[in-house]
Amino acid sequence: MTILTRLEQWKERGIVSSEQHAQLAGLSRGEPFSLFLELNVLLYAGVLAFVAGLGWTITTWSHQLGDVLVLTILSLMLAACFWYCFSRAPAWSAEETRSPSLVFDYVLYLGSLTWSVELAYIENRFHVLSGQWDFYLLATAGLFFFLAYRFDNRFVLSLALSSLAGWFGLTISHWPSHQDAAYRQYAILYSLIVGVAGVILERRGLKPHFLGTYLNIAANVLFWAVLSGVFKSQGYGLWLLALLAACGASLAWGLARRQFSFVAYAAVYGYIGVSSILVRDMHSETAILSYFVVTGIAMVVMLVLIARRFGRES
Amino acid sequence: MRAYTASEEEALRARNLIKDWAGEGFLTDAQYQRLEQETVCDLRRTNIFLRLVLFLFTLIIVGAAVALFFNVILTHPAIQTTGIFLMIFAAVSYASAEFAVARARLYRYGIEEALAACSVAFLCVGMQLVFFEGRPYSPTPHEMEFLVPAAGAIASLWIWRRFGLFYAFLAAMIFVLWLPGHWTSSHAAQHLIVAALYAAGLSAVAAVRAGHRFTYLDETYSIAEALLWLGIYLAINLQPSLDLLRQWLGGTPPTTEFSRPLYWTTWVLIWCLPPAVLARGLRGKDRFVIAVGAIAAVLTLITNKPYLGWPRHSWDPMLLGALMIGVGLVIRRWLADGPGGIRHGFTTHRLSGKDKSWMSTGAAALGLVASESITPPQTSSPEFRFGGGDSGGGGASSDF
Repeated sequence: MTILTRLEQWKERGIVSSEQHAQLAGLSRGEPFSLFLELNVLLYAGVLAFVAGLGWTITTWSHQLGDVLVLTILSLMLAACFWYCFSRAPAWSAEETRSPSLVFDYVLYLGSLTWSVELAYIENRFHVLSGQWDFYLLATAGLFFFLAYRFDNRFVLSLALSSLAGWFGLTISHWPSHQDAAYRQYAILYSLIVGVAGVILERRGLKPHFLGTYLNIAANVLFWAVLSGVFKSQGYGLWLLALLAACGASLAWGLARRQFSFVAYAAVYGYIGVSSILVRDMHSETAILSYFVVTGIAMVVMLVLIARRFGRES
Repeated sequence: MRAYTASEEEALRARNLIKDWAGEGFLTDAQYQRLEQETVCDLRRTNIFLRLVLFLFTLIIVGAAVALFFNVILTHPAIQTTGIFLMIFAAVSYASAEFAVARARLYRYGIEEALAACSVAFLCVGMQLVFFEGRPYSPTPHEMEFLVPAAGAIASLWIWRRFGLFYAFLAAMIFVLWLPGHWTSSHAAQHLIVAALYAAGLSAVAAVRAGHRFTYLDETYSIAEALLWLGIYLAINLQPSLDLLRQWLGGTPPTTEFSRPLYWTTWVLIWCLPPAVLARGLRGKDRFVIAVGAIAAVLTLITNKPYLGWPRHSWDPMLLGALMIGVGLVIRRWLADGPGGIRHGFTTHRLSGKDKSWMSTGAAALGLVASESITPPQTSSPEFRFGGGDSGGGGASSDF
């Protein structure tokens, strides 16, 4: 029985009204067909390509174009973007706010990226901050947080969080070459600050729907940092305890809030960390393979029980 | 032929739709509760995260169990013996997947999917070891060695048909990429054979799909058709910059040996195909085909200059970005100006909660990726220069 037949039956039995039937049957047939997602992806990709080309062009032609022309163009773009956003934004609300239009979010995103390009250009040409990039990243993060909360924009929130990560000195690409204690500590500090700030802001009712973005980034940075400690050849005991604590917290949060990405983090990161410690002293291939069979089965059983109890459907 | 009955899959589809409609306010809570009872189904599902983790752990179990078997029971076996046992394990894995569906009623649960995937992998490796004595792939392979990817493609297609897993269809297409290398050394012929096989698949899918426009099978065929269109496009676009992708998928290595007529025919085709695909997608209101048409159009714009032998310029991405933004704005404005924001059955209004969920997931994922480009510059470096401009953190720390 197709959905159209079901809808017909539901209408005949009075479960849905004739108007609802007409609307829902139309939606089932793709009438109307929404291009909302496609247009969003097109605009996002367009903004990214545009800014990439802008950066490349400035790189290649900055000497020929001259500082005045480059800065004038960038400043005009920046002013136009922010004028558009501030002039068209609805009144601020702590709750989730719908964008006034489809393009609004991407104009803001373009403005944010242009701001970064311009500031980087100024700093590199004129050394205003005398190479103190830390302040620059912190100020940029602050601006992006303001814009994200003012205009309710998750893309700019992501930029703010990654700029803040930059201020803490974190970058995924440099991780393998920065396995030192200081790098780990900064990562843990960052994830704790981001996680706690996200929870506090949610409790205060300030854009509570942003919490997921905060926690997903914080959880991944935290788990990477703790895992890098667990992988140490010596003195990993405390890191193992920290990993178990983080897994417990992630699991509890995921089950309590029905956010199963956190259950998945706990299972995968926890399994990798614990297995790395247990397997490192095993020298028998049979023992190692047996370990993976037995623990794999145990994990599947545990996850199936969780799925049955908590996560029937997405 | 399918592991689930049509009524079960229609019930699941109906459940998904009413959940979405209730989330968008098209149904009241009371109606949603009532309709949920009307669409009860005994298939066992889980959410995407647990599904992925269950898939991963099932792969670990199966891989470790097979390795343990060879380590403990069958130490130092002959290559053919190993191959025979791998084929037996393929059968056991497949039977386990069937059992998991028939008895445990698992539906896209991760476990049965991993078992089915393992069965294809074991079958291909086993066949290679049994029939071709473990010869690795080489530029001059055994003439019958094409049977291995052919078997992989057929097994993947069977799993796609039986369990409805879209990535099994993608796997079958990747196996097809390995076929022509066994038949001819001409790269031009290999491209044409792959394109012809995909085109044959497309004809079959399009013919079968026509009778399932509003059934649960429509999405399955839609994804298959979209993948085939993309495959055909990638097969006929001879631009070397796409060879990286083709090589990554195991296809033909980069080459410049193409004849001029073939080269320029494919150049015409890469301009003709995207509008044709887009038109078909829009006419059928098919989201996946529309997406592939748009991707192909962007790829054509990106590869056109190298195709013609023209130099790239630093402002090319800007122009591409401006074009994409412009097209987006024009479409939005045109649709918004229609009565009720609808023209020819299309609208820019969000009608499904799934769109919002995709946007939220995308924003969070981009946040993770963006942190990659937040690299504080090495201020001590005397050669620090201005250049780049990354997206993460707005490229705040990138050099120029």
